[in-house]
Parts: sequence; C-alpha cells; structure tokens
Amino acid sequence: MNTKLVFIKDTNVTVDATKDFYADFLNLLRENSLEDQVQVVRVADMGIYGQGLVVKFPEADIIYANLQENDLKNIITKTIKEGQVIDELLFKTEPKQLRIVLRNCGEIDPENIDEYIALDGYQALVKAILEYKPEQVIEELKISGLRGRGGAGFPTWLKWKLTRETSEAQKYVICNADEGDPGAYMDRGVLEGDPHSVIEGLILAGYAIGASKGYFYVRAEYPLAVERVEKAIKQSYDYGFLGKNILGSNFSFDIDIRLGAGAFVCGEETALIASIEGRRGTPRPRPPYPSVKGLWDKPTAINNVETLANIGPIILRGGKWYASIGTEKSKGTKVFALTGKVKNSGLVEVPMGITLREIVFDIGGGMLSSKGIKAIQTGGPSGGVIPREFLDTPVDYENLQKLGSIMGSGGMIVMDEDDCMVDIAKFYLGFCVDESCGKCVPCRIGGYQMLSVLDKITEGSGKVEDLDKLKRIALAMQKASLCALGQTAANPVISTIRYFEEEYQDHIVNKKCRSHKCKHLLNYNVIQDKCKRCRVCVINCPVNAINGDKEKGFFVDPKVCIRCGKCYEVCKFNAIAKE
Amino acid sequence: MAKLTKQDLDQIKATHQDDGKDWIKVGMSTCGIAAGADKVYDFFVDEIKKRKLDIQVKKCGCQGMCYSEPLVEVRVKGLPDVIYGRVDKEGVMKILDKHVCGNTLVKDSIYELRTKR
Repeated sequence: MNTKLVFIKDTNVTVDATKDFYADFLNLLRENSLEDQVQVVRVADMGIYGQGLVVKFPEADIIYANLQENDLKNIITKTIKEGQVIDELLFKTEPKQLRIVLRNCGEIDPENIDEYIALDGYQALVKAILEYKPEQVIEELKISGLRGRGGAGFPTWLKWKLTRETSEAQKYVICNADEGDPGAYMDRGVLEGDPHSVIEGLILAGYAIGASKGYFYVRAEYPLAVERVEKAIKQSYDYGFLGKNILGSNFSFDIDIRLGAGAFVCGEETALIASIEGRRGTPRPRPPYPSVKGLWDKPTAINNVETLANIGPIILRGGKWYASIGTEKSKGTKVFALTGKVKNSGLVEVPMGITLREIVFDIGGGMLSSKGIKAIQTGGPSGGVIPREFLDTPVDYENLQKLGSIMGSGGMIVMDEDDCMVDIAKFYLGFCVDESCGKCVPCRIGGYQMLSVLDKITEGSGKVEDLDKLKRIALAMQKASLCALGQTAANPVISTIRYFEEEYQDHIVNKKCRSHKCKHLLNYNVIQDKCKRCRVCVINCPVNAINGDKEKGFFVDPKVCIRCGKCYEVCKFNAIAKE
Repeated sequence: MAKLTKQDLDQIKATHQDDGKDWIKVGMSTCGIAAGADKVYDFFVDEIKKRKLDIQVKKCGCQGMCYSEPLVEVRVKGLPDVIYGRVDKEGVMKILDKHVCGNTLVKDSIYELRTKR
C-alpha cells in the first residue's frame, strides 16, 4: 500500500482551528481524487508550540507552519502531487532536548539486560577494564568536566581522585538515590527506566577509585525502582559484570542495596553514611569529608544517580565529546522534572546553557492556564525562585546561584499568578522544618521560628520589622547549621523576599494576598448583580455563614465564614467574589 | 552462568539488534502505572492472544512525557513509529483495529516525542 501520511495540528493554545482545517484538507483531497493515497492524521501533540496550523510529512520530514487556508491548495498540488518542498512555508526546528542520561529510558525493557547491552550497554565497562588504568578513567572524567548532579556541582573527577589517593586499602562507593525534593523525580525515572546504566556507572566508579564494594541507597518510597535495581543487580552478577575478577581482570566488585526509611536529611552524604551503618540518620560536621573518612571510617565516594548514569557514555565516547556540550563551566546535560503550571509536565533532558524560557515554552508547551508565568522554582527546598524577568538566563550552576537559587537535583516548578510567594516560601520552609533532624540548634530552632513568623504574616498579623527578623534568622541558619539542609532551608524565604518583597508588604501592610491563596486574608462576598438567589451557596455552606432571603439577597457573614471556598466552587453564576 | 568476555558481549549485542519485527511498547514506570499502564499492558496481551496477532508487547521505562501517560509506542512495518498518549481500553482497541490490523494511524491521540523528529 502506498499511502502518504500527513500529520496536522493547530499548535496555538487559544483557538483550535484543526477541525475546519482537517475537513478542508479532506475535501480538497477528494476533489483531487487523492483520498485513497493520502492519510491525514490529526495528532494530539507535535512538540511544536505557538506556530499556528502545522502540517508535517513524517516520512519526508517536512514541516510547514503558520498555515492559512489558502496554503492548502499549494501543499496538495506541489508537495503531495509532485513531491516538491515549498520553501516559504517551511518550518525548521532543532530538537531542544539532548538525551544522555535518559538515552535508554522508554527505549528498552528495564528488566532485560540484553536490551541494554544491545544499545552499547556495558561496553564502557569493558573498555575501561581492558584498555584504561583507573587513573585514566579519572583523567577522562576530568576532561569531560562532569560535575555532581546532586545539586552542589562538585567536580566528579576530583571527588574520585581524592578518594583514590587515600592510603586505606578498603574503599567504598555509594549511589545516592535518596531523592526527596518535592516535585522532583529524575532519579526515579532513570532507576525505573534504565537501572543498568546506573549500575555500570557505579562499577566504573569502583574501578576508578579502587573500591571493592558499592551500595545503592534508595528510598523505600520507590518500590518499583528498588525492584528493578534488585533485578538488574542479579542479572549483572549472572553475566559476570559484578562479582570476582570482572571480565577476567583482578578487579572484583559487589553491590548491595540499602533502603532509606524516608528521612529527607539522609540525602545528605554524612547522614546517608550513618543510615547505611545502621545508626540514626543525622549528619556530622565536615571535614573530614567522606572521601577521606566515610562509610565505616573508610574513604567513600558518594555520587548521585544522574552523575553515575553519565559515566558510561563519557568513557565510551570520550571526555572531549562530553565537554563539547554545555557552557564553559557546566558541561553536559541536565535532567529536569518539569512540573507545576506548565502544559507538558514530565522529564526533560537539556544541554546546559539552554534558557529557562526554552524549557518552559518550547519544551513544556507553555503555561497550563491563561494566567501569565510568575516565577520558576528550582532546586527544591534548598533552592529559590527565579522571577519571570530572568527567563532568558542560560541554565548552569553559576547563573542559577547568582540569581539566588541553585541547580539542585533538578526539580523545576513553574508558577503562575495564582501562586502566592509567601505561601510558597512557607511550604518549602515547612518541609525543611518537618525534615530537620534536630541535631543542630540553628536548623531546629531557626527554621521553626522563621516558620512561625511566616504563619503570622499569612494570617494577617505580620509586622514590617518581621522581614528583617526573617533575614537575620536566615543568616544565622546559613552560617551556623551543620549540614546543607539547615544552611539552605532559608533560601526559598530569602529569594522570595528578594524578588517579591512587595507581595510580603501587601500581606503585612494591606492585609491582602493578591493571589487569593492565604485564606486568612480572604473575604468571600455575594455579587448581588450576578446572584440568581438559587440558594446553592446557602445549602452548601458548612457553617451557615450565608444569610438573607430571596427579596433582600444573600450575604456572607465574615465573622462566621471559615474561608473554605465551597460557595465559590458551587456557584454556577460566578456570583461569589473572592478578594 | 559462565563469565562473559568481550566477545560474548558483542554477540549478545548482535543477536538483540532490531530484527524488524512489529512491536508495541508500553511505558511502565511509576508515572505510567499510576495512570493505568499496567491495565493497558494486560489488555494488549489478552486482545493479541484472542485475535492471534503476530506482534510483541514489551515494557519500557518512562519516555519523559508524563502528562500524557499511559504512553504506547507502536511499530508496524510500513508506518512510522508513533507514540500514542492517554491510552485506555478504548484506545487499545483502536490501535489494534486501525494501526496494527488496518495499517492506518489513529487520529487525535498521537503525541510526538520532543527529542525525536
């Protein structure tokens, strides 16, 4: 059968003109008696946004964008009948994403090692063990410029070198898969979609630093990831990539899994080590760093899942290749979990140096609602918000830090005008207060005090000097906390004050929350002109706060009202005002 | 099992190269399963057995487009590989009727991956 395929899609968000266009297309084909030779397919998503009507010929890979109705004739006569390309309609697009870490995710069966091998799996391990000395592996990483993907961005080669150069005979490597940032699930995606790539990275790490034992520290909340990693480790043992004398060399390596019991702080390396040792998961002061004194006081290299998934491709394709991707100081790609008020939420992997705007609008497809973008939160509870003025900033470790946020592990939450920045700060700080291990005073008490100040502000009893108080406590926490959790817990507060101070002032001085999020500052009222006196709100109000009758109209009693928003939801005539 | 050598590895690689056969891949990570991918997978397996079709159903990880899970990628000879999103039981029937048996793509449910073109 020799049918041509045509994909069509209206890539504008507001009006979808695909239906008419589709009908016209079919009619025209029928007029030209081509209906049996061409199949027109309406697609749900084309990966192109804001380019009007788009037509794509998937076999020839021709894309026409911003089409008008009268272009159709031209397309049918020229492209479909004669196979010509119409240059003036042509739309050129480069794929924005580059997949190194996620290279096999969604491609292979994660529970089948053979499929991983078919896509060059374990070739890097073979190459390293047969051709490279451990030092050369580290050297290759140095050339690649790979930096830790857990958040802080410490050069991976340096961490490995420091661990390797210690004089102890017994060393360990650990894969940190205790991913806990709200809204981030990059590591889960990799562990569930391609566990062997992480195992290969861990074995390579063991080879490079001279360790004979590795641990996977996976949080217990990821049962499917744990199951797949377990299976993958077993398969790897069966094939001899793990165990004694790997590939006939002197190198022997074993991997065990340890489950995290759900404490956020156990993502911190010293707390993680304590947890593996069977102690309570609390951090200890550094130095000595784990690369000198880690697990059971032996030198230990701890790497994030994403970092390890990068190792295989770097060894296989060379550090130079990797260093050619990204910006001057941040090489390679980064996986982000794009969530929040964005149309296409999901995992994206982009080269460093791409702008936030490209991520949100070209890959994410723009905002979910018609409300404008307000800010992007990166780095989870240790990060901060980046307001829309900085959307064109290239993403790398340094730039995000300059803006008062961090790269973090890769959570990226898009916020629109409906999100109250004070509320956001309160949420993240509340998370850190819950998760604080309580060992050091600045984090345990500072966090709690800051949270109670924020509570006061959102309840309408804040004072102007509270902002200074917040800043002062934040500084103390940053300087004096034991681990990164406490040092960075205040970041969301500091960065929201930095960029959205007027919103705080609004809460404190005018007692108003412009995003209508802080319910203590909200008032519900019946708009008398719109009200049809149907009494639905009266019936649904759980505290009988709406009084009145059909003649005089209905009114909300603010003293009784608990601001649950039920009346607002149930009113069919939009006659409830929220202000 | 005996230890693999480089040669064995290359052999496995060669035997598992794409053999050009038709397949259906269902994204079975947490995001997919939460959206009902396991039911879609089982339904595919049952239906294919019932209809005695010669097509393999495979599992795979997360494609990254979590907003349109469950995702199903279909390869049938003569048609480009496409990914269907938000597939439910009805979608499974459509994919089997139209794409696998009828050699036409199912409209309104194709989601193009942002990395592949």
